Amino acid sequence: MQAFQQNLSKLEAADTQVLGVSMDSSFSNKAWAEKIGVTFPLLSDWGGDVTKEYGLYNPKYKAARRATFVIDKDGKVADIKLDSEAIDPSKTVEACQARKLNR
Amino acid sequence: MKQAFLVALLAANLMPGLHAADQPAPPQPSVKVGDVAPDFTLTDQNNNKVSLHEFKGKKNVALAFYVFAFTGG
Repeated sequence: MQAFQQNLSKLEAADTQVLGVSMDSSFSNKAWAEKIGVTFPLLSDWGGDVTKEYGLYNPKYKAARRATFVIDKDGKVADIKLDSEAIDPSKTVEACQARKLNR
Repeated sequence: MKQAFLVALLAANLMPGLHAADQPAPPQPSVKVGDVAPDFTLTDQNNNKVSLHEFKGKKNVALAFYVFAFTGG
């Protein structure tokens, strides 16, 4: 999430809201957001319902697989990045910039 | 020809099995490019409710699933 924070101004300039999601508690997310200086929402999917709905629940870790979805202004999935490509937001930034021009 | 087909079938059946014995396959996203993203309402770190539909028609959303708080990435 640190990398998303570093790219936040670029993403905001591309009309993009960043939302982090994990199966951590809100309490954990608050402590972590303060520690690393994240200013965008970190959402608590306690119990994993949303993680499961997106097909990302990994029973081995009882947690989500690392994935970033770009959802366009029509609410449709425009881009999906997994694992290391999801950690580095540069391709997500490009996908969002392309989506800004579409509208 | 039939034999080759059977061998291929056998190999296709065995490979995921061998793989599974080693490491379970990671989960595959059930939401695909072009799908309507499933809506949700979740609570953020400041106890505010955030719903995906709030951004429809206004902003793109970069929805970043992470494994655990207090880890890298």
